[in-house]
Amino acid sequence: MFDIEREISDTKIRLCLDCGKCTVVCPIAQHDSEFNPRLIVQRRLTQNSSNPQDETIWECLSCYMCVERCNYRVKFPEFIHGLRAEALAEGAQLQCTRGGALQALQHLMAREELQQDRLNWLPQDIELTEQYDTIFFVGCAPYFDIVFSDLEVNTLKGVEGALRLLNRVQVPFNILANERCCGRDLLLQGDREGFLALARVNMEEFERRGVKKIITNCPECHYTFKADYAKLPGGTAIEVAHLTEVIAPLLQSGELSLGELEKRATYHDPCTLGRCSRIFDEPRHILAAVAGLDVVEMEQSREKALCCGASPWVYCGAVNREVQEQRLAQAEAVGADILVTSCPKCQIHLRCCQKSGDGTVPRVEIQDLAYLAARSLDSGGEAID
Amino acid sequence: MSRSAAHLVVFACNWDGLTCIEAAAQAGLSYPASVRVVRVSCLSRVHQGLILKAFELGAAGVMLLGCKPGNCQFDVDARYIAGEYEKARMLLRLLGLGEERLVLCHMARSDGSGFVKQVATFAQEIEQMQPAVPARA
Ligand code: SF4
Repeated sequence: MFDIEREISDTKIRLCLDCGKCTVVCPIAQHDSEFNPRLIVQRRLTQNSSNPQDETIWECLSCYMCVERCNYRVKFPEFIHGLRAEALAEGAQLQCTRGGALQALQHLMAREELQQDRLNWLPQDIELTEQYDTIFFVGCAPYFDIVFSDLEVNTLKGVEGALRLLNRVQVPFNILANERCCGRDLLLQGDREGFLALARVNMEEFERRGVKKIITNCPECHYTFKADYAKLPGGTAIEVAHLTEVIAPLLQSGELSLGELEKRATYHDPCTLGRCSRIFDEPRHILAAVAGLDVVEMEQSREKALCCGASPWVYCGAVNREVQEQRLAQAEAVGADILVTSCPKCQIHLRCCQKSGDGTVPRVEIQDLAYLAARSLDSGGEAID
Repeated sequence: MSRSAAHLVVFACNWDGLTCIEAAAQAGLSYPASVRVVRVSCLSRVHQGLILKAFELGAAGVMLLGCKPGNCQFDVDARYIAGEYEKARMLLRLLGLGEERLVLCHMARSDGSGFVKQVATFAQEIEQMQPAVPARA
């Protein structure tokens, strides 16, 4: 049951002083004058029921820029997720991207009896352990590469790179053959029931296999396990680490060294890895360890990084495009050959903008951080292109 | 959920595809009662999202029924549907449901008996597979 009082207290929404700083930094508000996080809250609180006319609740990117700026760290995006759950419960129809393929996949993956066949891409030479004490959680990359094949994305390359790096530093891990989507996108779009169904099957599998530690390359899975699964009844006490947190210290201690790459790269902080998980330095340490790589910062980076501009597979329109074009222009402005990110979704959204743009959108190459780092390993000290 | 509830969904294009089903009806031919026909203006409208949605809602198999190559009213179906069909098949394979649960049939106009034969064979094949996982309650 939707309980507005609970949403209010969970998100500290009453602490809002109405100062408007959230709106100033909100990337959506910059391109759409109708959108205003503070007024969404105000509209909902000054009436006793939901406001089905308030379509703007679907526009929020969950980029957490507003939270970053808010003196009281009022959780606007989470309040908006609550309003979405309320709207869905009252029969609102989602405007899904890709014809709802991602939502359908997530709901199908929540079926307990499902026996997926999702590891065909796994290279033979990747070493896995017998046990499941530490697992690498692959995430939805095998699905993304099919759903978005027309965008020529290859998010599995990032996963493969991550596995090679872990093998190289001899961090033992196994992979679950039947892992499910972590459910983050359903949570963000207000489908709490769908999220819980996925969380439940995943948590049962972790328990059955005796998982003690999870390493992920996808920032979304990482944060969801850490922040959201932990809150659930019987919440898991499993240690969760992002790949960059495992690799960066080994580079600093000299246990791992990377190869060479003569390029200029800029790092795009995924909102969830940066503002949510506070992982800003580790990815940069990894890039700094690639010899010959000229790393430059975009106008907006770290805590102030601009979002890749798209929401959890719902409501993507002209405003989102403008945010994406703005981000790609920032990469172009610093002369980057490669925009490096560690999120498969950022990769997809920015590629989509490049592919469907009118040809004037900056063509900067978009690469996964783990892929780039692993690729440099193979260079054997030689520059690769 | 009992096995008889395992529906087959046929996305039939409004042109040659649908004429086959109408011809079957007019000729008094019968086909399995588990078949549900969804009429679409053109198969190019049926993207991976719609196909997966049918499975999410509990379909055990999906048939895409459209015009023979070259007969499309809009001249686009072959271009669009081939890609989406391939994607959906690969996704079904990953999900472990099996790519055989999706078939693409191009039929000549008003081929009622041809349609009945195809759909009955398909129903039989699905029947022999592991039951599709029941939909969420
Ligand atoms: S999360 Fe991002 S898009 Fe949503 S209201 Fe806050 S700043 Fe705006």
